[in-house]
Amino acid sequence: MVEAEAMGLIALGAGLAVGLTGLGAGIGEQSIGAAAIGAMAEDPKFFGKGLLMTVIPESIVIFGLVVALILLFVF
Amino acid sequence: MLKPEKMTRVVVVGTSDALDQTIENLHKLNLLHIIDYDEEEAGFKIGKPGSMASKFSEHLVTLRSIENQLGSEEEAGFDKKISAKELPSQIESTLSELEEEVLKQHNLMRSIETELKQKQDIEDTIKPLASLPLSLEDYTGYQSIKVFVGFIDSNIEDAIKAETSQYELYTGEIEGKKTIAVAVVKEKEDEINKILQNDSTYVEIRPPELTGNPQAALEEMAAAKAELTEKLTNAESELVRLKQEYAEFMLASEEYLTIETQKSEAPLRFATSDHAFVVDGWVPINKYDDFEKTIEGGAGNVYASKLEDEEVKDAPISLDNPKAVKPFELLVDTFATPKYKEIDPSLILFITFPLFYGFMLGDTGYGVLLIFLSWTIMSKVKSGGLHELAIILLYSAFSTIIFGIIYGEFFGAPLFNMVHHGAVETGILGIYGPHIGALQLPVHRFASVELLLVLVFGIGIIHVTLGLLLGIRNVAIEHGFKHAVTEKLCWLMILFGGIMAIVTAMPAILGGGVLNTHDPVFASGIVFGIIGIILLVKGEGVIAIMEIPTLLSNIFSYARLLAIGLSSAGIALAVNTICRDVLFSQGGVFIVIGILVLIFGHTINLLLGIIGPGLHSLRLQYVEFFTKFYEGGGTKYDPFGFIRKYTEE
Repeated sequence: MVEAEAMGLIALGAGLAVGLTGLGAGIGEQSIGAAAIGAMAEDPKFFGKGLLMTVIPESIVIFGLVVALILLFVF
Repeated sequence: MLKPEKMTRVVVVGTSDALDQTIENLHKLNLLHIIDYDEEEAGFKIGKPGSMASKFSEHLVTLRSIENQLGSEEEAGFDKKISAKELPSQIESTLSELEEEVLKQHNLMRSIETELKQKQDIEDTIKPLASLPLSLEDYTGYQSIKVFVGFIDSNIEDAIKAETSQYELYTGEIEGKKTIAVAVVKEKEDEINKILQNDSTYVEIRPPELTGNPQAALEEMAAAKAELTEKLTNAESELVRLKQEYAEFMLASEEYLTIETQKSEAPLRFATSDHAFVVDGWVPINKYDDFEKTIEGGAGNVYASKLEDEEVKDAPISLDNPKAVKPFELLVDTFATPKYKEIDPSLILFITFPLFYGFMLGDTGYGVLLIFLSWTIMSKVKSGGLHELAIILLYSAFSTIIFGIIYGEFFGAPLFNMVHHGAVETGILGIYGPHIGALQLPVHRFASVELLLVLVFGIGIIHVTLGLLLGIRNVAIEHGFKHAVTEKLCWLMILFGGIMAIVTAMPAILGGGVLNTHDPVFASGIVFGIIGIILLVKGEGVIAIMEIPTLLSNIFSYARLLAIGLSSAGIALAVNTICRDVLFSQGGVFIVIGILVLIFGHTINLLLGIIGPGLHSLRLQYVEFFTKFYEGGGTKYDPFGFIRKYTEE
């Protein structure tokens, strides 16, 4: 019983880790993405830089993902 | 390979009388990337365009406007090339004729459309009148009577009766709306008008000045409209016919005129004096001998010479890769064109892009489908970006199949027999996976998350390290070795110092044990990292410390290799489970539903499987890998010339 409860909490924690970081990255990326597309519309050469800037907030999801994977499979 | 094609700076000098022939030769060679002259030198001016330049561009504008009106699109090409010698006379005569014809048809269509609109308007007003028992001439042309017509919902006869007894009222109904016509004596016009205007449901109709029965008028309009529509269709098909008839001519003359405009405007890029001209540019070094021979042999007093000691920093970039690697130049160019002295990473993409793609998708079934898909695209689209993307997809599909065998997956179902919770699950092939070295296939993705997680971080470390090594090379060549140490090598030291420290400390952290700070690996890792940080601060200032965590997130980012794969395999497994355990087991109609779910689910998953792994594999290249060494910003090699498709000389 205690075991099952612990498993449930781990699953919840993993879900929160990915879900919340996903939300955060989404909020961060929306304005950067809009600006990057604007810049690209003016000069397609901005593609490389624009992409780099846009995915910067994404690293937070990756951290969340790693935390979730470790929670689920390593613990 | 790995480096752009070697270029040499070239100057072509000649006397004015040889100018035209030299332009002709340069254009035919299609080798010289011209550097536009900007009037820096005293005594030299920008050349004047050829005498025919304005004529050619005028024709070109006319032709393009015709093409616009006809909606011509580029066709796959036709078998017979048109001789460029015969074209000029044809263009002179045919172009104006064609323009006139197209304009005529267009004007005709405009006028027919206007007329149609008018008829439509009249029809719209007559339609409600057809519900009333009056002729069209009954509404207007009185001296002592005023007729009001309109739509109305409420009953206003009482209100009118209260005002005057000299009235006549007709009502009708059309399409659920009530119509009304009130004829009153002229003296009461204002009062009745007020009553009608005060009624919120009243909408006035202005009867057209026509005669006869409205029903008959309606039929007349319909007939007139049908006739006009037919005329319009005729004019449209005439335009289509013109387009078909002149398609070849238009494609060929556009090409011819583009070429001639290029040639006659070329002097605008040259430096000229009263009696001589100078052209400055770049030529691929291994084609220089041909270039010199053709230019000097082709016309009187013209000389070409190499400027050996010229700074090659600004040389235009022509990527130089084997045929198999060529498609990946598209991915490199999308990010940025490399600089002349930079590494061209196409070859590395050729290896790592399909590798990452296959690692993520990893399913034999999807792999086979992707081979068919890319093969179809390649045979339909013969050239251009889409064709190259299809080739990249083909490579990725093969890699997907190989990883599919390693993971033992076929549309999410097991390929090999597997022992799962003590029970044997029979795979598609019905055999146990083979041993390859110490590796027992299949490496099932859900069962080996820990192993794969370590593996993807390993891949990440190798990939980032490769990027930093290339970075050291690029910086060392451009700015010297000292800069390479403080800009790139320090990152490598931080990376490996960090890895050494974390790997030795990890068991203690996870297990809750005591960290052994005297462990030589841990200690040297820390020292290594600190030296790296000192070098970094020396090279890029204190603020660069802020950047250190990105190194960690770069490596963690490779976890997506596993994550995307797990989600794709998870969806496939879910679809299979729904079909097999929930639907197929019930029999009857559920088997049909099951098959539909199976097809739908796997199609969606395959689409996601093309987009997801493709984008993420590319992102790992662009964001994690390219940032370590790649700057870009080179100019693309764009030689003066044209590859003829529709014409021949």
